[in-house]
Amino acid sequence: MATTVAAPARVFGSGIRRREDPRLLTGTARYTADFTLPGQLYAAILRSPHGHARIRKIGSSAAKAAPGVVAVFTGADTEGVLQSIPCAWLVPNSDLKVAPYPPLARDVVRYVGDAVAVVVAESAQQAYDAVELIDVDYQPLPATVDPEHAVKPGAPQLHGEAPNNIAFHWTVAGGDVDAAFKAAEVVVRDRIVQQRLIPTAMETRGALAHYVPATGELTLWNTTQNPHIVRFIMSLVTGIPEDRLRVIAPEVGGGFGSKIPQIQGDFITVFCSMKLGRPVKWIESRSENYQSTTHGRDHVQDVELAATKDGRILGLRCTVWAGMGAYLSTAAPGIPTILHGLMLSGPYKIGAVKEDVYGVYTNTTPVEAYRGAGRPEATFMLERIIDRLADEIGVDPVEVRRRNLIPPFDNGFDVITGLKYDSGNYKGALDKALAHAGYEQLRAEQAEARKKGRYLGIGVSMYVEICGLGPSQVAGAVGFQGGLWESAIVRFHPSGKAHVFIGSSPHGQGEETTFAQIVADELGVSVNDVKVVHGDTDITPMGWGTYGSRTTAVSGAALAIATRKIKEKARLLTSHLLEAAVEDIDYANGKFFVRGFPDRHKTIQDIALMANVAWNMPQGMEPGLEATTSYDPPNFVFPFGAHLAVVEVQPETGHIELKRYVAVDDCGPQINPMIVEGQVHGGVVQGIGQALWEQAVYDANGQLLTGSLADYAIPRADVLPDIEVLSTVTPSPHHPLGVKGIGEAGTIASTCTVYNAVIDALEPFKVQSIQMPLTPERVWRAIAERKGA
Amino acid sequence: MDITATYSFAAPPSEVWNLLMDPDAIAACLPGCCELRPLPALSGVEGGDDRYQAELIIGVAAVSGTFTATIALSDKVPPHSYRLQVDATGKPGFAHGSATIVLSAEQNGTLAHVTAAANVGGLIARVGQRLLEGVARMTMDRFYGCLAKRVAGAGS
Repeated sequence: MATTVAAPARVFGSGIRRREDPRLLTGTARYTADFTLPGQLYAAILRSPHGHARIRKIGSSAAKAAPGVVAVFTGADTEGVLQSIPCAWLVPNSDLKVAPYPPLARDVVRYVGDAVAVVVAESAQQAYDAVELIDVDYQPLPATVDPEHAVKPGAPQLHGEAPNNIAFHWTVAGGDVDAAFKAAEVVVRDRIVQQRLIPTAMETRGALAHYVPATGELTLWNTTQNPHIVRFIMSLVTGIPEDRLRVIAPEVGGGFGSKIPQIQGDFITVFCSMKLGRPVKWIESRSENYQSTTHGRDHVQDVELAATKDGRILGLRCTVWAGMGAYLSTAAPGIPTILHGLMLSGPYKIGAVKEDVYGVYTNTTPVEAYRGAGRPEATFMLERIIDRLADEIGVDPVEVRRRNLIPPFDNGFDVITGLKYDSGNYKGALDKALAHAGYEQLRAEQAEARKKGRYLGIGVSMYVEICGLGPSQVAGAVGFQGGLWESAIVRFHPSGKAHVFIGSSPHGQGEETTFAQIVADELGVSVNDVKVVHGDTDITPMGWGTYGSRTTAVSGAALAIATRKIKEKARLLTSHLLEAAVEDIDYANGKFFVRGFPDRHKTIQDIALMANVAWNMPQGMEPGLEATTSYDPPNFVFPFGAHLAVVEVQPETGHIELKRYVAVDDCGPQINPMIVEGQVHGGVVQGIGQALWEQAVYDANGQLLTGSLADYAIPRADVLPDIEVLSTVTPSPHHPLGVKGIGEAGTIASTCTVYNAVIDALEPFKVQSIQMPLTPERVWRAIAERKGA
Repeated sequence: MDITATYSFAAPPSEVWNLLMDPDAIAACLPGCCELRPLPALSGVEGGDDRYQAELIIGVAAVSGTFTATIALSDKVPPHSYRLQVDATGKPGFAHGSATIVLSAEQNGTLAHVTAAANVGGLIARVGQRLLEGVARMTMDRFYGCLAKRVAGAGS
């Protein structure tokens, strides 16, 4: 059969299918829970049923005598073995008070889910049965669950170290905000509650620890986003030297931030294995996950915007009470501060900002990063208050945005909070979203519909986000107790196939595919000839993990540079083998050839073989075809976009129908547009979940009332429209491939997009604020109240 | 969770009072209950706390289990008012409830005004929260309804 040979399409930029998916979709992927070792024991953790209580006595004799039980441990047993769980983001100039965070509670429990004791048994069932036999005598104490109320006089106190429950008070200020408000012709205010969310990764947390007393070595299978950080922290807490500590993150079923921190269960599992000298496995149930794995958001925000009558923004002033939960989780203090406050001005030219952030201890599950981590909370404040301004001055909300946008720039723009955005074309993204959606026509349809008693709403939100974390020097300056560089090894085997080893740890983002595309594109090999290896600290080079949309932005840069080193070595070796001057060696489509003589060439496969057998190497060149790069980015990357939603609200029932969702995102050049689209889809949906359905609810005693998926509503496909995904392309000036992150963009934009659309729909009722999630009941009540008013 | 309710009894307050203080009647009428075992009065004062221990089977939605409960009758002003305290702990969590019961004479009998407050924790709170108030109310209705029937039965 005749075939047409087309010019090879570039691998970079092609939406090839994810290589991860066959194993994920056929159930053959292996998660932490799927590993079983000879002699393995199972741990079940007894968790506090009280939000706040003193432990008077723990009776464990019945549990110890139960069938199959090998040991029962309490906090007292960890004395001298486990250190307090460290907080790894010590935000400076914030009077940070890090309270002790014991892996197993000592004397006091501070949230429902706080670990009290652990049973280790021959089977998981025996362990769970025996947990119920532990008799704990609690003296309940008053609890506090709301971050704003917890700082008030008379509130129950969690930690002696932190008077008034204030973990930190951080301020960001730029420009003269008081002058801006004095000069303002219009001031609009809002109170926004970013409700607490539960990340709900499909795979719950878990660990399998295997400590070998004879060698002092620990192998830990752990469902984590950052195995190298786990090794570092685990070493600090247990005293096991890092060189004897191997952390393996096998298949990881989603994280969304909830698998950044090291949580009590990880340390408890390791402790049990150290004590018993046998492998111990602990896997959370969903109910346990909801209580004891970290939560997200939980802000109470007071926002004020100063502007002129024609909608020019002069200043932004905010106070935020950010719930931290009962203890400071690994990265928690950095989220409502560095990742939030520094992004306050968004894509707009704002001359003055000031924000006070109070991090507050409450009797709740510790709060951590959750997809977007600080940036959704900043974007929402800004994009919501701009809609309030538009409403106040009677100007279209899109027009107000246009009047304040930073003009396009391609190499650096200094914003008032001190950051330097890398590149942006905000107007371009906005124009594209409006044109695609048919904004003018939508407004006309809305007006027509209102005449017929139908309530359509159009919501717009823009965003610019900070990701690709980040320069390590900046990490140090903002108190992050680690670096943020990444490394990659590219190793070509004699047959021309390659391994890529990376220090970051993808868990659903598709880098096994996109990273192979980077190598394939650069060297002309097939994507199928490149295997990407990650998630094992004994095999992979150092890396700080997959979070903050940093894997492609930082780890991908390391890989691109390592690949270029391979290319340079191949060029040198070709010149040697072909006896041509190196300046005369060109490269195209996988071949290194003498300029003008394409037949005189070596393929990358030829070079891989010759470099590995090393029969004929140039003087001074090392054998092998391998390159390693450690890459510390010179700046963050700043993706951006404009999203638009159309909703219809039924005023009789408060029901919201999401009719359209348009996302225009700019993450620079896309390595794999299909994966970008998938990331945008997932992100948008998680953000919509906050707007419409999700909320972790505690009662006044600290009981988690949304303790299962029966009461915590996550988005489902049947209530979502087709998401219309578009993009613009503004390369990052400092990334070797120009790319930026896309993992969190959708979440950062979509919550306020949908919220603004709902409030816009209710404009005839003059409803301006409804607390999220916008359940039918709340929408109906808001309408009813306005009707009554 | 605060619940108030009023129950009517076809008997004079003194008769209703005796029934409400009768451990056998309480055991027979408390849903999921079996037997009340007397505990020593904390106060040690004659006519002070009447305290009992009981095994209760409580079910809320998908969560059910056996609770060990302490039931205490206190602040007794016969035949006018008393306080009922139930503290139950078990595998599915814990429940603490207290109620003030005030009896008033009516034309054809007695009205009992019950003001109750309860808080629950553990699995029962996390999973069954939406149904808790309904279950608490139903439990009270059954308890006092059963006692009212006993009064009516005794009177006939």
